[in-house]
Amino acid sequence: MIRFENASVTYPGGVEALKDVTLEIPDGQMVVIVGLSGAGKSTLIRAINGLVPLTGGDVVVDGVSVREAKPKELRELRSTIGMIFQTFNLVRRTSVLNNVLMGRLHGAGTLRSLVGAYRAEDIEIAMQSLERVGIVEKAYVRASNLSGGQQQRVGIARALAQQPKIILADEPVASLDPPTSHVVMRDLQRINRDLGITTIINLHFLDLAKVYGERIVGMRAGELVYDGTGAQADEHVFRDIYGRSLTADDVMGDPSERPATIAG
Amino acid sequence: MTTAAPPGQARPARPARSPWAIVAFLGFAAFTWWAASDEFGIGFDVARVITNLTRGADILAEFFPPNWEYLPRTFGPMLETFQMAVIASVIGCGVALPVSFLASRVTTPNLVTYLVNRSLLNLIRALPDLLYALIFVAAVGVGPLPGILALVLFNVGVTAKLLSETVDGVDPGPIEAANAAGATRTQVVRWSVLPQVLPNYVAYSLYVFELNIRASAVLGIVGAGGIGNLINTERRFFRYDNLMVILIEIFVFVFVIELISIWLRRKLV
Repeated sequence: MIRFENASVTYPGGVEALKDVTLEIPDGQMVVIVGLSGAGKSTLIRAINGLVPLTGGDVVVDGVSVREAKPKELRELRSTIGMIFQTFNLVRRTSVLNNVLMGRLHGAGTLRSLVGAYRAEDIEIAMQSLERVGIVEKAYVRASNLSGGQQQRVGIARALAQQPKIILADEPVASLDPPTSHVVMRDLQRINRDLGITTIINLHFLDLAKVYGERIVGMRAGELVYDGTGAQADEHVFRDIYGRSLTADDVMGDPSERPATIAG
Repeated sequence: MTTAAPPGQARPARPARSPWAIVAFLGFAAFTWWAASDEFGIGFDVARVITNLTRGADILAEFFPPNWEYLPRTFGPMLETFQMAVIASVIGCGVALPVSFLASRVTTPNLVTYLVNRSLLNLIRALPDLLYALIFVAAVGVGPLPGILALVLFNVGVTAKLLSETVDGVDPGPIEAANAAGATRTQVVRWSVLPQVLPNYVAYSLYVFELNIRASAVLGIVGAGGIGNLINTERRFFRYDNLMVILIEIFVFVFVIELISIWLRRKLV
C-alpha cells in the first residue's frame, strides 16, 4: 500500500510541484494519473521511490517512510519498485540483456556486478522478464538497434526483473506511435492483472486513461483535483482536470482511424 | 512553392547588434599586439623570421641525405621508447578511469570529494612532463624509470581531464533508471555511465599513447631513457644525418599508431 500524507514538493527554484497531496493506493491497483504537463504528475510518481525528495509531509510505501529512509533503506525500497520512463532510459550502447540485468543490480552485490559476473538465477530472471514482454530473441542485440516500441518493452522487462511489488510508469507511451502505444499499455495491463503488481501510470492522452485506468487520479497545478473510476471520468471531468476545454491533441485516437480527424 | 501564412503575425524587428563583439575583438587584437610588440612584448617580427630562416638552410642541408646505415642502432632505444609508452599508458589511463568519475559532478555529488579531485588534477597538469622527468631523474637516477613516472603523471592529468568532461555530458536517463532500481553509486557508474563513455575512453588512451611516443623523444634529453637519449647524443656530435633517420622513424611510428587507433575507434563506436 502506498500512502501520501500531506506530501509536498517545492523545487529549489521555488516551483511548488506537489501541494499537500493525500492519497491512498491499495495493493494491486492500476492507477492512471492525468493532468497537463507541469501539473506535477512526474513529481508525484518520483516521490514514491524518492527520486524527488519531499519538502513536506510524507509518503509511506509498505510501512516504510520514504522521507525518513536512510540511503541504504531507500535503495532497498527502490529495488521493490520498478520504473518505466518516457524516453526509455536504456543504455543504448550495450545489449538488451545488460539493460534488463540493471533490474538485478540491487541483489547482485557490488563486486559481482562490477565485473558483470551475474548469478545464473539473475540471468534467468532477466530472460523470463524479456519473455513476458515478448522480445527475448533480442537479448544479445544492442539496445540502440531496437525500435521505440521494442526499447520500451526492454524498459518494462528491466522493471520486471526487479520482481517488484510496484511499477511506476512516467508517460510510457508519449514517445510512441498510437498502435505501439496500445501494445505497451496492454503489456502493462497484463502485468498488473497477472502478477498483481500495483501499477501507477502517468498519461496525458485522455482516451488511453479512460480505457486502461481502473482508477483515475487528476492533477492540476500540483494539487489532486479528481479521484474516481475510469468509467465515471467523462468529458466534464477531464475538462475540469485540465482547466480548459478539450482539443484533438488531448486524445490519441483509434489507431485504425489514423489520421482521421478527431472530434474535440 | 510557397505556403500561405496565417494572417495577423507581425515579424519582429532585427535586434541591434551587441557592441560586445566589437569590443572583444579589439581587446583580442590589442592583446596580441602587446605580446608581439617591440616596446612591451618579445619583438616578434615576421620579416626577421624569414631572413633568419635562410641562415638555417646550411644546417638543414646537413640533415640530408639521412645516414641509413645508422638505422639498426636506433632499434634498441626505439623499442625502449615503445615499452615506456605502453607501461606509462596502461598505468596512467588505468588510474585515470576511477579518478575521472570522482572528478565529475554527474558521478560524484559530494562537493568536497569533487573539488579535491579537480584541484589535484589541475595541480598535476600545471607542471609540464619535462619538469617531472627532471625531478624524477634527480630522485631515481637516469634510465627509463624516471621517464615512465613522468609520463604516468602526464597521462593521468590528460586522460582524467578529458574523460571527466565526457562524463559531465552523458545521458542522465540511464543513471536515473539505475538509481530507481536501487543500484549503489558504484553500480550506477559501472552500468549506466561507463558503457556510455567507453569509446571516448579508448580514444583518449590511444591518443595519450601516441603523445607518449612523441614525448619520450624530449624526455630522453634530460636522461629519462628511450629514443630521446639517442637524439641528445647525435645532436651533441652534430650528426644531423643520423638525427634525420631518427626523425623519420618517429614520424613513421606515430603515423602507424594513428592509423591503428583510427581503425580501433571505428570498430568501437
